[in-house]
Amino acid sequence: MAEEKGKKMKRSEANTVGSTNASKTASPAARPAGAAAKASEGSLNLQNLEVFYDKFRAVNNVSLNIEPKKVTALIGPSGCGKSTLLRALNRMHETIPNATVKGTITLDGIDVYGPLVDPVRVRRVIGMVFQKPNPFPTMSIFGNVASGLRLAGASSKGEIAGIVEESLKKAALWNEVKDKLNEPGTSLSGGQQQRLCIARAIAVRPEVILMDEPCSALDPIATLKIEELIRELRTEYTIVIVTHNMQQASRVSDSTAFFSMGEDRGGYLVESGLTPQIFTAPTQQLTEDYVAGRFG
Amino acid sequence: MSLLRFTAADLVKAPSGRDARRRRADRFMRGIMFVTAAIAVVPLIGLILYIITNGLPFLTSQLIVNSPLDIEPGISNAIIGSLQLTIASIILAAPVGIAGGVYLNEFASPRVSSAGELLIDVMLGTPSIIAGLFAFLVVVPALGFSGYAAIVALSVLMIPIVMRTTQEVIRLVPAGVREASLALGIPVWKTTIFVTCRTAASGLLTGVVLAVSRGLGETAPLLLTAKGTNDTEILNFGSTMNAMPIVIYRYSSSPDSLLIGQAWATALVLLVIALTLNVLVRFRTVNNRVA
Amino acid sequence: MAITKENRFGFGRGIRVDALFRILFGSAVVVAGILLAGVVLSMVVSSLPVWNIQTPLSFVFGDRWAGEVTQPDGSVVGNYGAFAVIWGTVVSALIAILIAAPVGILAAVYLVEFAPRRLAAPLTFLVELMAAIPSVVIGLWAAGDLSIRLRDSVEWWVASTLGRIFPWLAEDPEAPAAQSVFRAGMVLAIMIIPMVVAISREVIRSVPQSLREGFIGMGATRWETIRHVVLPAARVGLTGAVLLALGRAVGETIAVTMVIGNAEGIPSSLFLPGQTIASKIASNYAEASTPTETGALAALGICLFAVTFLLSLAIRLLVRRAARGGGQAS
Repeated sequence: MAEEKGKKMKRSEANTVGSTNASKTASPAARPAGAAAKASEGSLNLQNLEVFYDKFRAVNNVSLNIEPKKVTALIGPSGCGKSTLLRALNRMHETIPNATVKGTITLDGIDVYGPLVDPVRVRRVIGMVFQKPNPFPTMSIFGNVASGLRLAGASSKGEIAGIVEESLKKAALWNEVKDKLNEPGTSLSGGQQQRLCIARAIAVRPEVILMDEPCSALDPIATLKIEELIRELRTEYTIVIVTHNMQQASRVSDSTAFFSMGEDRGGYLVESGLTPQIFTAPTQQLTEDYVAGRFG
Repeated sequence: MSLLRFTAADLVKAPSGRDARRRRADRFMRGIMFVTAAIAVVPLIGLILYIITNGLPFLTSQLIVNSPLDIEPGISNAIIGSLQLTIASIILAAPVGIAGGVYLNEFASPRVSSAGELLIDVMLGTPSIIAGLFAFLVVVPALGFSGYAAIVALSVLMIPIVMRTTQEVIRLVPAGVREASLALGIPVWKTTIFVTCRTAASGLLTGVVLAVSRGLGETAPLLLTAKGTNDTEILNFGSTMNAMPIVIYRYSSSPDSLLIGQAWATALVLLVIALTLNVLVRFRTVNNRVA
Repeated sequence: MAITKENRFGFGRGIRVDALFRILFGSAVVVAGILLAGVVLSMVVSSLPVWNIQTPLSFVFGDRWAGEVTQPDGSVVGNYGAFAVIWGTVVSALIAILIAAPVGILAAVYLVEFAPRRLAAPLTFLVELMAAIPSVVIGLWAAGDLSIRLRDSVEWWVASTLGRIFPWLAEDPEAPAAQSVFRAGMVLAIMIIPMVVAISREVIRSVPQSLREGFIGMGATRWETIRHVVLPAARVGLTGAVLLALGRAVGETIAVTMVIGNAEGIPSSLFLPGQTIASKIASNYAEASTPTETGALAALGICLFAVTFLLSLAIRLLVRRAARGGGQAS
């Protein structure tokens, strides 16, 4: 239902350029994976983005450029639509009935909401890590990481095992779990579970990883580990992270976008820029007040 | 590495091979699931249409007012019998069920409480024919086929329904309500009756209505106990009694087309009562496990 | 009244009333317990005359229900064989559950995961109404309408294809039986589907949304999410739903009695009439006049009660395991 509606959304004229660019750059023949990785970098561009739940406009006219291979933090008071915006990026909001999107989101120039685009594929390119660690309770640690690969059609056991190990290493979890890969994912501690979810997300080798307050359910030490991990992962992935925690945003992100809630309770973008600039020399009074902890 | 890495450029290509298959499987299973949901509902529509078309022509005032012995026979004694048996049974079952449910929730130790749970589960799972057989084996030898035997059988079926519903609605009463009352120095028994049970009153009623609905529709336990009769005596629980389900069952295998028609008409009456009671309950607390 | 130390602190009368009150309410549970014990005991005690003249083993495995037989030496031997009715009960319940489990669970998945809200609410309502219809009304409809439709469609089709290979699916094309075990199973299926749907719905709804999102977020389709995440996470609860429905199918009496045909013995084909434990009790009680005849019915009751009791015990164990292992909705 919602997925059909999503496709029917109006697109603003200005951004049809993106799609035509893409068809030029996309070479039809299958290329080796390495070449493909170079050709596309994972830069996201949002133009006049609006997200609706039924008639309620949760996100109001956001235009934003998300740099490739950088960490972008979305901050703002609760209810300002930053999680909703994040979910619109990989079309996750479509799992909620009656959620619709207006405006454009392009990934490396390709319209994510284009008529030919299958949302299922979008989520393989743009992975997601959620607020609460959600390892699949009926799968082992290994199975959790391998599940996305198996969905994508990987059948060679050696290949899967290789990618699982590589992903767990990247997620800084390998040393802790290598001897108990067959135990259920839910047997791990909260922080480990969240790193397992990150490993699970990178196993399908996405270009972008969305993180929706990934540390809000974790203790400070586990949080620190995840933050270290995020800084390491940005060399390979574009990371968009929603956070409530100002210090976290300033620690891990390269750019920051500050959102607030308008009078119609819909969220809008106040300003965005390099993180040091947002935190030390914001152009808007509202940003300064929020960053200084005066509200929110 | 053979595993395809997806990039943005791949998004605009038409899905092929494996992805196309996955998409087809998704659509196909959606279709299957829609069909199963339809299968779950279609019989209800077929049944209602069948009972209405066949029963309506026979649903006359004669059917409801006259007794089976009148020249133009009806089923008045079955209607009255059903009401008498159900009311008498619920008068027994409701206090026992409510008191038991309240006790298990409010006063019982965890051990007694879990034993009580098992008791209710087993009683709820007891087939109605077993309840009938119990009364047939215990009450019938002493009092003969009678309303009393039927009341015993129906009570065995009704008590666990009331008890389980009571437990579930009492559980929903916030602890604060009780504590507020106890803190005022109101004794436990007054708190329980005038605060806890009052708060949950509509839920308790739900359990009673569910039990009544069950009692009105049961056939097998009544066959083994009240047996069915053409007599029209009222409030004579010592002898055989008639009830609507018995009429439906007995008349349906009769060679007389009038009696078969009356079976349909009686089924229509019973259907309307059962559905009405059920709809009434739906607008209050819903309890799937018991219903 | 003077405030004495005693009644000011709620001792005395109040506490005695409270104690009395607890005893009164507790006795309700005792009454229920006594009733249940009475149900079991009454059947055990009444069945004793049967065990005087035959063994429980010969009762369960005997294939003929022939009553008492006087031997040439003058001794009386019981020849009550329940095997045929146990067979009928198991087979009709199996047919029912094989249909109702997949249909009911998938329908519940549809209602929770796919149905638009405008459709889900009325569909759920209708399914729950179906559960409220008295079984005698279903029996009347099944005997008069559904049974004939099934005979002329599904049954005819299976008999004229698979029936040529397997004799236990055969049917006389000239004179198909008026009633059959298979149709009893189908009617039972229709009766228990609402139960499977209702419980499965609750169970599926209790699977945390975050698990679905996790899988969808990795690029899974909705169906893949259901198959690999939702159904595995819900499996314990779903098994409970199926077992509960199976218990209902095993014990259902009147609707089955109206469509199964109540014929003695094990039929050679599923499309021939048979009998279940419950339908046997319902059709034989009126003729039971001697203690052994009544006792034989009580013995049938024990068989039926044992089956349903074991089922409800199995459900409890499952649920307890789920609660401990956190396999569901943790």
